[in-house]
Amino acid sequence: MSIFEHMLDGQVQVYLPLSALGIYLHAVFISITFGFPVAIAMLLWKYHKSGEPLYLDAAKLMTSVLMVNFALGAVTGTLVEFGLVQIWPGTIFAIATSAFTPLTLELIAFIMEIVLLVLFYVTLGKIRPVVSIGALAAYAAFAYLSGVLIMAVNSWMQAPWGTGPVAKELYPFLPEYGPLAADVQKLVAVKALALVGAAQGVPVSTILQMPGISEKLGEVFSDPWVALTNPYAWPSALHNITAGVIIGLAIGAAGWAYRYWRTKDEKYLKIFKAVIPPLVILMLIQPTVFGHFMGEAVVEYNPTKFALMEGAAATYYNPIVALVAYGDPNKPIVGFDQFYKQCNQLGSTTVGDLLKQVGVDLNTVVQSLGLSGQLKLSQAASLLDVKLADVCKADLQKAEAKMELVHYAYYTKIAGGVVAFAAALVLLFSAWIRVPGLTPLAEKIMSIFGPRERALFVLTLIVLIGAALAAALGWAVREVGRKPWTVYGLLYPEEVVTPVPATPGFLAFAYLVILAVGIGGLVAMYIVATRRLLVRK
Amino acid sequence: MSPAEFLGYVGLGLSVSLHIMLVTITLGLGVITAAWRYLAYSRGDTWYESAARRAFRVMVATELFSGVWGTIITVFLAGFFPGLTALATDVIFLPIAIAIASILIRIPSIGIFWYTWGRVSDRVHVLIGFIMAAAGFGVPLGFRYIFAETVYPYAAGMALQGQVEQARLAVFSNPVYPYLMLHTVFAALSVGGFMVASLFAIRGQEDARAVRTGALLGLVFLVLQAIAGAAYLFIALASYAPIIYDNVFGVLLGASATINLAPVFLLKMVVVLALLVFGYLTFVNSGKGAVPSYARYLAPLALLAVVLGEVMNDGGKYPYMVALGKEGLPTSLFFNAYMPIPMGAVYVILAFFITAIVIFTVAFYYAIFKKFVE
Repeated sequence: MSIFEHMLDGQVQVYLPLSALGIYLHAVFISITFGFPVAIAMLLWKYHKSGEPLYLDAAKLMTSVLMVNFALGAVTGTLVEFGLVQIWPGTIFAIATSAFTPLTLELIAFIMEIVLLVLFYVTLGKIRPVVSIGALAAYAAFAYLSGVLIMAVNSWMQAPWGTGPVAKELYPFLPEYGPLAADVQKLVAVKALALVGAAQGVPVSTILQMPGISEKLGEVFSDPWVALTNPYAWPSALHNITAGVIIGLAIGAAGWAYRYWRTKDEKYLKIFKAVIPPLVILMLIQPTVFGHFMGEAVVEYNPTKFALMEGAAATYYNPIVALVAYGDPNKPIVGFDQFYKQCNQLGSTTVGDLLKQVGVDLNTVVQSLGLSGQLKLSQAASLLDVKLADVCKADLQKAEAKMELVHYAYYTKIAGGVVAFAAALVLLFSAWIRVPGLTPLAEKIMSIFGPRERALFVLTLIVLIGAALAAALGWAVREVGRKPWTVYGLLYPEEVVTPVPATPGFLAFAYLVILAVGIGGLVAMYIVATRRLLVRK
Repeated sequence: MSPAEFLGYVGLGLSVSLHIMLVTITLGLGVITAAWRYLAYSRGDTWYESAARRAFRVMVATELFSGVWGTIITVFLAGFFPGLTALATDVIFLPIAIAIASILIRIPSIGIFWYTWGRVSDRVHVLIGFIMAAAGFGVPLGFRYIFAETVYPYAAGMALQGQVEQARLAVFSNPVYPYLMLHTVFAALSVGGFMVASLFAIRGQEDARAVRTGALLGLVFLVLQAIAGAAYLFIALASYAPIIYDNVFGVLLGASATINLAPVFLLKMVVVLALLVFGYLTFVNSGKGAVPSYARYLAPLALLAVVLGEVMNDGGKYPYMVALGKEGLPTSLFFNAYMPIPMGAVYVILAFFITAIVIFTVAFYYAIFKKFVE
């Protein structure tokens, strides 16, 4: 079996969709976790200012939905967490190194989230609304912190900060990932073992589970904070968390707008108007400002992903994209043709040459780590003769194969965002702020969708669908766009997947349970959300 | 053990003890809730209905917080002991999958049980209740294999000798597991009973019938738990994990110990004795319509017994991570040496854990006992 084929390819094909389903399901609940606290805070503020019990009752109803949602978020979070260590156990190496600090700090966020949410729930309506808003804000702060930390972990896989020039040595078109915080010799040795292992059906996790392996290998990373100093992490967190807030808020707003449409009861319009301002503001800022920061990070650290997004099989000029991406309309959009050319810079250097260059003797490594029982170096002899340029080009081919998918997903995402943005503008000028010239125009657009009650619901639904489409496809672009690597430029999925074969029975059961949880959860939240809103006299 | 290893070991021990204590409550109360709901339906007795609701509300409040500690355990394991986690995800893949599936069924079934109460037919609701209760036990059914393998690495040993594929199925034949699981089940049911007795003995909310039932259940399962516990100690541990046996009991007979846990063992015996005495007195007195004040302390005592048992089972391997005859595999073999552990961050995390426990306990006591159960 050659370096370009992995015995565990089949495992990846089988497990990847299962993981994706779990993550998307989790994202649905996370959006509500992020968005509802903002809406509830707005309602409580209105209650504080006006004293109208309508706002308190609406806040209580949304809190009940939030409670059910939190439980489902925790369940699906458990699923994603176990999915990560069970199905992709090679990532345990990342959890023990770059992800250690964010993941352990995330425990604080998680545990504080739950205690503060319970505290907020049991005291709501019994203490002053301002104090309740404070408790809710504290809960939300920890929820967002949790999001920031999880995004930091994911971002490290997109841009492995602290590995310096290691990826660039293999792929000359990649940038350097920050100041070196890793022992290059050991990192390269791990990569070589992963490569040899994957070709023999022995993933990284099989090596990790050998007792004493960690002691023998020793310190690979020197900076435990590396994931949090990653410049890719902050735009990622800002972009993705605000996307979640928008979707959560839009779900809540659409619910109230729907009630207003069906009942024509003005009280629902009052509630709708209370929750709509933050949705509109964020909808206007998120795709333009935060999205731009995210785009800049992709351009700088994920050149192949950017080329996939722009469909750049060959380098081309597009002044608008170039201005947005590089701040210079005259710069070309670098395509795969340039990347292939840059692979040639590696000349005839082989894997063996590279190992020698960094002082890694594979035989010695295998012997010293006691892995001769697991890895057959005799079968991997040909690996040392493989040219790095060929590895580079083979990986580019794998990435390029996803161009159509990533490109269309990206532009559909943009379209979804633009539609949501436009609908938010109409809502802004028709339901919230009155501006001469703009408000009549917005109301004219609204009239296309029928009577005002119906139009408000339809526009909010458009915001919701547009934003959800943009978020779902945006995440797909983020994850598929970094392929063929799991850790960009460093590790393949085949190297971190579990060696445990997936039987059809196991897969059927797993899909069934995940779907049942998702559907059951949504039904439960619907039941809670559609309870009659009781307004005290 | 280095300071970082010790911190990881203690952090893991703290998380496991708390998690086990809380899940024991939820498992026991889940069964009692489902059983009372069934009795309400089959006997047409509304008392069972309202009692089931009270027990259920306390179960729900505990469930989420207990789940948090499960997550904490996973992160602690993967972060501090990546080698052990990697081994578990391979060799114990199937039992862990069973546990995860059970979690995925358990929590939504709790929500469905609550929101369908009175909205679906009684038979369907009773069925949902029993699914909820059974799914709860599916979690330890899977996860207890991890504990069994750290006590006696039956399948892990095979895997480390190269028989990985056989090991993935052999894990189900770990000879320690049946004793451990039986003890776990009886402990959960016993705690559930005593929890009910204490809950319904709260001042101003006394219900002698529930207290009597709870005390009876607690006592019956405590006796069964004691038998299972003795079998676990004198048959399973004595044969397969003599290091734990010696550290817990053998040391009383003069055996050498790597850590002397005999005081913990003796304390547990005192607690069990107290539970037997006060449980019996509660049962007798509540039968006469009087709820004795000491009934309120049955649940804390039962939970203390659970924690002490877990401390012996897990701490009995000290200073090892995995017991192996009279010795074991040291923590250093599995510990994370890939990166310097940021001790400052870990201390902050532990401080937050303690803060969260305090906040939760206060909220649980005042909100749940004072408000929810009313």
